[in-house]
Amino acid sequence: MSDARIEAYARALTEIASAEGNLDAVEKELYVVARAVESNDQLRTTLTDESIPAVRRQAVVEALVGSASNTTAQLIGLVVGSGRGRDLPAIIDKIVKRASNAQNKEVAEVRSAVALSADQQSRLAAALERATGKSVNLKVVVDPSFLGGLIATVGDEVIDGSVRTRLDQVKSRL
Amino acid sequence: MRFLHLLASEDPSQTHHWLLPETAEIIYGGISSLLIFAALYKFALPAAKKGLAARTERIQKELDNAASTRSAAESEAANIRKAVGDVASERARLLSEADQQAAALLAEGRVRITAEVADLEAKAEADIAASRSRSSDELRAQIAQIASVAAQNAVAATLNDGTQQELIEGFISSVGGAR
Repeated sequence: MSDARIEAYARALTEIASAEGNLDAVEKELYVVARAVESNDQLRTTLTDESIPAVRRQAVVEALVGSASNTTAQLIGLVVGSGRGRDLPAIIDKIVKRASNAQNKEVAEVRSAVALSADQQSRLAAALERATGKSVNLKVVVDPSFLGGLIATVGDEVIDGSVRTRLDQVKSRL
Repeated sequence: MRFLHLLASEDPSQTHHWLLPETAEIIYGGISSLLIFAALYKFALPAAKKGLAARTERIQKELDNAASTRSAAESEAANIRKAVGDVASERARLLSEADQQAAALLAEGRVRITAEVADLEAKAEADIAASRSRSSDELRAQIAQIASVAAQNAVAATLNDGTQQELIEGFISSVGGAR
């Protein structure tokens, strides 16, 4: 799908979430769903397979979002039902970016090998704001393949403190 | 009449001389001989001459044929001698050409084989060098792979909860102190 179409979907879904009055909660839930779709090949294949009836794909979405809000489930169902499941992560990333920009914030994606506590997330957000000079909307993605450490991406800036990257550097030097 | 009387008066079985015949006998014999010689001269002599001439002509013809045959044989012999000479010279020429061609082929083959051997040696040396380099690279890659896996396993074994929290806190501190 073209960027213009992705942008159009993101704008429309953001407006719907804003109209429902729960944009913050919806964009957090959508972000979790987007990372799940990105990391799970079978889920991504199921959501993008045109041979599977739309009703069944939407049922998969409802099972996926579980306890999420109805707005989140309906927005995802709308995208998947219209045959845009392949672009769901990109649309959600646009929604998150639009929601953050609406609050004059920059999306700070942090990938960690283990989950961060609320206190750690708060201190990390503060540290990133000091480092970048921007207000950040922190999004934490747990990725065990990192082994340990963190990678933070704020806009075009990447701060890499992961063990995986250091091991790759050692391997490259070897 | 006298003659008849004479004939009747004498005995025809008696002669006057033991060696000489009677006169009449001589006459008759002479006349008969003349007639015979005349007939021979008239009829036999031309036939004999003709036969002799034919024989002479046949012999001459045979002699001519023999001479012609001899001449042809000598010519044929000359041709054969010439052909033998030509064959010998042709044989010598062919042998000479064959020798030249063989020498040229041998020289060309030596040059070609020398060049091929040089190419093969160069290629073999390049292959050996490439194989040595490849083996060295593969060995280095395997060592790096093994070392990387070993390092990853060693790091993973040491990454407990405490270490993870230390890494997180260290990251937060380094990012917060970066500015």
